[in-house]
Amino acid sequence: MLAVDLLVNGLIFGLFYALMAVGLAMIFGVLKVVNFAHGEFYMIGSYAYVLIALKLGIPPWLALLLAALTGGALGWLVERLLMRPLYVGHGDWSIAKDEYAVVVTFGLSLLLVNLVDKIVGPYPFRGPVLIETARFQLGPVMLNGQKLIAAGVSLGLLIGLALFIKRSLWGRQIQAVAQNRLGASLAGIDATKTTSLVFVISGMMAALAGALLAPLINPGPDVGAFPAIKSYVIVVLGGMGSIWGGMAAALILGVCESFFAVYVSYAYRDAFGLILLILVLLVRPQGMFGEKGREV
Amino acid sequence: MSRVTTTSDAGNLWVNRLRRDFRASLALLALLSLAPLVVTTPYSLGILIVSIYFALLALGWNLLAGFTGQFSLAPAAFAMLGAYTTALLDYHLKAPLAVGIPAAIIGTALLGWLLGKVVLRLKGPYLSLTTLSFAEIARVVIGNSVEFTRGDQGLNVPTLFESRVGYYYLFLAVLLSVLIVLYLLMKSRTGRFWLAIRDDATGAASRGIDVVRYKTLAFALSCAICGLAGSLYGTFSQLVSPELGLLMQTGLVISMVVIGGMGTLTGPVVGALLVYLASEWLRDFGNIQMIVFAAAVILFARFLRTGLWGLAGRRFRRQSASGKT
Repeated sequence: MLAVDLLVNGLIFGLFYALMAVGLAMIFGVLKVVNFAHGEFYMIGSYAYVLIALKLGIPPWLALLLAALTGGALGWLVERLLMRPLYVGHGDWSIAKDEYAVVVTFGLSLLLVNLVDKIVGPYPFRGPVLIETARFQLGPVMLNGQKLIAAGVSLGLLIGLALFIKRSLWGRQIQAVAQNRLGASLAGIDATKTTSLVFVISGMMAALAGALLAPLINPGPDVGAFPAIKSYVIVVLGGMGSIWGGMAAALILGVCESFFAVYVSYAYRDAFGLILLILVLLVRPQGMFGEKGREV
Repeated sequence: MSRVTTTSDAGNLWVNRLRRDFRASLALLALLSLAPLVVTTPYSLGILIVSIYFALLALGWNLLAGFTGQFSLAPAAFAMLGAYTTALLDYHLKAPLAVGIPAAIIGTALLGWLLGKVVLRLKGPYLSLTTLSFAEIARVVIGNSVEFTRGDQGLNVPTLFESRVGYYYLFLAVLLSVLIVLYLLMKSRTGRFWLAIRDDATGAASRGIDVVRYKTLAFALSCAICGLAGSLYGTFSQLVSPELGLLMQTGLVISMVVIGGMGTLTGPVVGALLVYLASEWLRDFGNIQMIVFAAAVILFARFLRTGLWGLAGRRFRRQSASGKT
């Protein structure tokens, strides 16, 4: 029953991917730029969790909350300091917008990685687990407590976020700004505040993904690179800016990868998603659920 | 990153600016050619050689990003591919460097042309993402094909000659040739077409420019420059490893161009020298170089988008010409 084991573990990883990708998709939705520093939100989240819990001796659940707040604060700062010029007051910037966003977020990514490397050190940390249980067998599936708890929390967060976006006033404002910034602001929505909100949520989600995985992956400063690349794959696969597409694509990628690693090649498992990304961009650049992003 | 409109009047302005730019870069190279008189230790000379390697990558990337507006994230990957072409030809076929180095240029040009074809219809963040994945795939594949490439252990490469001074002048000569080629191209129709594509691809196509052809040409040429740089660097360091293609290296190249000045000839060279030399100097202060450069990149992109060279040019223009911008 290897297949069931792979399926369940793939889905669990898909949930973590979804936490990352959903923020990236939201940012793309409201600003139409890719945040190349998204992996560093994740990295900061896992570091915040580990350091708060280990150095300050704060209980893991509280540390998880504080890590989310750290990520949210970081997201807010990034939006306030670096992203705001993309849409406030710089009319002539519209041509160079993509370049600016790539350069600035790529620079930010380098900055955060090296800053953490310098301040905290290049050694990986092992985070405290949320629940102490040994590995156990559930039917044909091999699990451990931390993984199960982390998956449960992720699932809860994703459902909560989905409800928030679909039902709440703020969530609807986010949808409106993503559809049409000008139109939304004409309808009385504060687009600037909404963009801030999107960055705060993105930062929190990515940081939570990092914090939840910290006991499983032993975060080092460059830990964010692969989750970030995976989430690029996911947002492209799900359609840039499509939150629902992103969540679905995350689960699909998680499952595909876990099968690929066992049945095709373990060494190339990280290349699998990237090849998928290139293929999707070539065949269906708007993704499975997204709007067209292709130039004629 | 300052933009040029392509009306005929502004066109002449572009040629004037380009000529001034080219002359400045020649002056810089003349200055560099005197460096071995002052810099005599092999170690310092090695640093200068590596900074010229980066200048070549910066010029290659700038051709795509600065002149053609195609924001590739794969320059370091192409340097790695160029280096590996030479190294693998030597390792498996015992091909001499006289074959290996041209093969690296042709190989990376072809690959770049193909990548250009692949990303042809993508723009903005889509293009960056695709080139990023290409770069990472290339690195993962080379790092994992242990039987073929010896993986992370890397490959040994024969050297062209032992003399460091010789290598320094070789790199300088290559830099000079690349600058001349770029200058001639940017002065010609091809260069104008690239600028037009950068500023408005749809508009360029509507005026009859073969956007497909010129974009793929820019990709092929840019990647060939990076491939050549990588191949030469491999023979200089005599060791080729997947680390050449790390994303951090691409980050370094981007920071050089952004700090020096995008869309110019002198800017990337100045940026490469400045950033690499500064990084050697900052190493004494405990490896803070990447922090400084990353912060500098963000600040330049945010507040000084024309880079250092653009700043110098603006000051020059303010003195010489009337208020026309």
